[in-house]
Amino acid sequence: MEFISAATDRWTLIPEDRPVTPAAHTLLSWAQWRHMREQWPAGLPVGVSFPNDADIEVLADDLARLELVVLHFPKWTDGRAYSQARLLRSRYRYRGEIRGTGDVVVDMTPLMARTGFDTAVLREGQSVEVAQRTLGFFPAYYQGDVRQHQPLFVRKDKVNA
Amino acid sequence: MYQYTEFDDRFVKQRAAQFRDQLERNLAGTLSEDDFRALRLQNGWYIQRHAPMLRIAVPYGELSTRQLRKLAHIARTYDRGYGHFTTRQNMQFNWIPLDRAADVMDELAEVQMHGIQTSGNCIRNITSDAFAGIAPDELIDPRPYCEILRQWSTLHPEFAFLPRKFKIAVSGAAEDRAAIAWHDIGLQLLRNEAGEVGFKVLAGGGMGRTPITGTVVREFLPWQQILVFIEAIVRVYNRYGRRDNMYKARIKILVKAEGERFIKAVEEEFLQILEHDVDGTAHLIPLEELDRVAQYFDVPAGVEFKAANDALGSAVTDAPPAYQRWLERNVHPHRFPGYRAVTLSLKRVGQAPGDVTDAQMEAAADIADRYSAGEIRVSHDQNLVLPWVRESDLYALWQAARSASFATPNIGLLTDMIACPGGDFCALANARSIPIAEAIAERYQDLDELYDIGDIDVHMSGCINSCGHHHTGHIGILGVDKDGSEWYQITLGGSDGTHQSGASVAGKVIGPSFAADEVPDVIEAVVETYRSQRAANERFIDTVKRIGLDPFKTATNAVRRTTGHKALAA
Repeated sequence: MEFISAATDRWTLIPEDRPVTPAAHTLLSWAQWRHMREQWPAGLPVGVSFPNDADIEVLADDLARLELVVLHFPKWTDGRAYSQARLLRSRYRYRGEIRGTGDVVVDMTPLMARTGFDTAVLREGQSVEVAQRTLGFFPAYYQGDVRQHQPLFVRKDKVNA
Repeated sequence: MYQYTEFDDRFVKQRAAQFRDQLERNLAGTLSEDDFRALRLQNGWYIQRHAPMLRIAVPYGELSTRQLRKLAHIARTYDRGYGHFTTRQNMQFNWIPLDRAADVMDELAEVQMHGIQTSGNCIRNITSDAFAGIAPDELIDPRPYCEILRQWSTLHPEFAFLPRKFKIAVSGAAEDRAAIAWHDIGLQLLRNEAGEVGFKVLAGGGMGRTPITGTVVREFLPWQQILVFIEAIVRVYNRYGRRDNMYKARIKILVKAEGERFIKAVEEEFLQILEHDVDGTAHLIPLEELDRVAQYFDVPAGVEFKAANDALGSAVTDAPPAYQRWLERNVHPHRFPGYRAVTLSLKRVGQAPGDVTDAQMEAAADIADRYSAGEIRVSHDQNLVLPWVRESDLYALWQAARSASFATPNIGLLTDMIACPGGDFCALANARSIPIAEAIAERYQDLDELYDIGDIDVHMSGCINSCGHHHTGHIGILGVDKDGSEWYQITLGGSDGTHQSGASVAGKVIGPSFAADEVPDVIEAVVETYRSQRAANERFIDTVKRIGLDPFKTATNAVRRTTGHKALAA
């Protein structure tokens, strides 16, 4: 997992009420992207910030054009974005960046890593060092996830000795 | 019993280490109370009325004596010398200081125990039939499936933050002793016409303020597919369950609102996983895995098949009537000849239903080591069950059980009440349960009277969250708060879904709530109405169904004192 701060973020979010001019590494809202998708120049890196209460399936046809999908945690105890990320990776084979934003706290990082997020913008005041540490408590899990597709019972000769 | 692999063992220790890290950050002030809350809940730690409450998982209710002794040790060392078994087969402690929480988790991990997912909005501890593997009416032993489900649901990354809590119960017998229709997912193991094993799958059951029984979403699902099918159900719930209103967030509301569309969505999701997801078929359970897990649930060493002997009769010709009563109520048939299952009653005057002291836990462990192959079960009715008792040991066991005060011969009778800890402990409760249970137990001390009343389920909850399953009681008692004082609503005719109780249904309220000191009189009025109206050999629940609520309303209104004017107004 990589933790993104304002200083390290190469993406530019265009406010909802501003006109969109195509430029590299522009991050659009889902509404902006729907409006721009036909005229967006091929090959120009673009990202979409997707609401957590909409069906992620509607992005399926656009995924090949998106370099970044940003998913939201309105509260860190709202688990909908985990399912969205999981479907993007497992069902639609999305290979671009999946980023978590919103109320992202350090203890979520193992869940995010396992459901397909590769970057996160931590909520203000959260420690990157602790976030990294929370990734280290479990070397393996019972059920499969997007990194390790096989459940333990399939691979038990390797980790279940 | 399931034996932990090295992986399982390490996993529980890793979880304890993770929890210690979180607790230390909380105590150091870098993890706020708000943020810590969801984390500690998923390890079983509530903040309660007096101290944190710890809920320890007892997966599908199976305990080894080593584990029970550890629970006794924790009760003695960290708590006030007792613990409480719940309707969901778990154990709760009420007095452990939070700053010792990580030490307790380390102690539990030593005996392969933990509090993982015993609370929080995640998939909770999976419950089952306390007589699994030994019941004569069992079709398929549910425990290997429970264990596979336990592993699959443990720290599932996608389903740690669902809209609300999520409970799964599994039954493999003709009689449903796990109340599966009252769970978010209820699973009934059965064979189809071709003799293949599979599950009838129910979803959307639950109690609380809106009691709803589960809907059948699949009549027969091959057992190999159960993890994938449940993943489909929980994913649909995670995506579409209501999060705007806590009271409408359980899956039962989604199932009810969507009806057939819910079933269709689940079936579609199930097919999508199998047909389109990367390694979507990886969670189909291979026969080797079922066999590997099932071997742990074989008959324990030392248990031998024997033709039924005459010990039940011969050893006890001069035995006291109390023994005969115990045989009748606390000793249950067994699928193996020469064996019986025995219930250690945790219902007696002076102790809250489900409560045990550390000394009693030690005694139960000693008894189980001696008479039950070192294995013990926690029942849905908040008792302990010894699954492997030789018929020839019954008399000696009865004596041992009696000296440890486990031999009250009241299983299934009025004083074998289910009750939550209520307002004495629980921060959520609107009213106390324990003094009411105590008053009823005091009133019904006469065993002849109890036996004459016969089979009856009395269930009591201190609030609408229904931990005491009041909806399913033949007599249900619900604590409610009005103007800051405690009142009790009485329901009749509830059913948990057993044959005796009939199809699962919530009980009906018989009128305005009663004052605390009226409740024992109300119970007596209900019981006396039954005794005066019953046909020969008719059980309480059948009389209620036959004559309806009116005679009971009349009788209970007649014993109102402080609530008399309210009843008239109603």
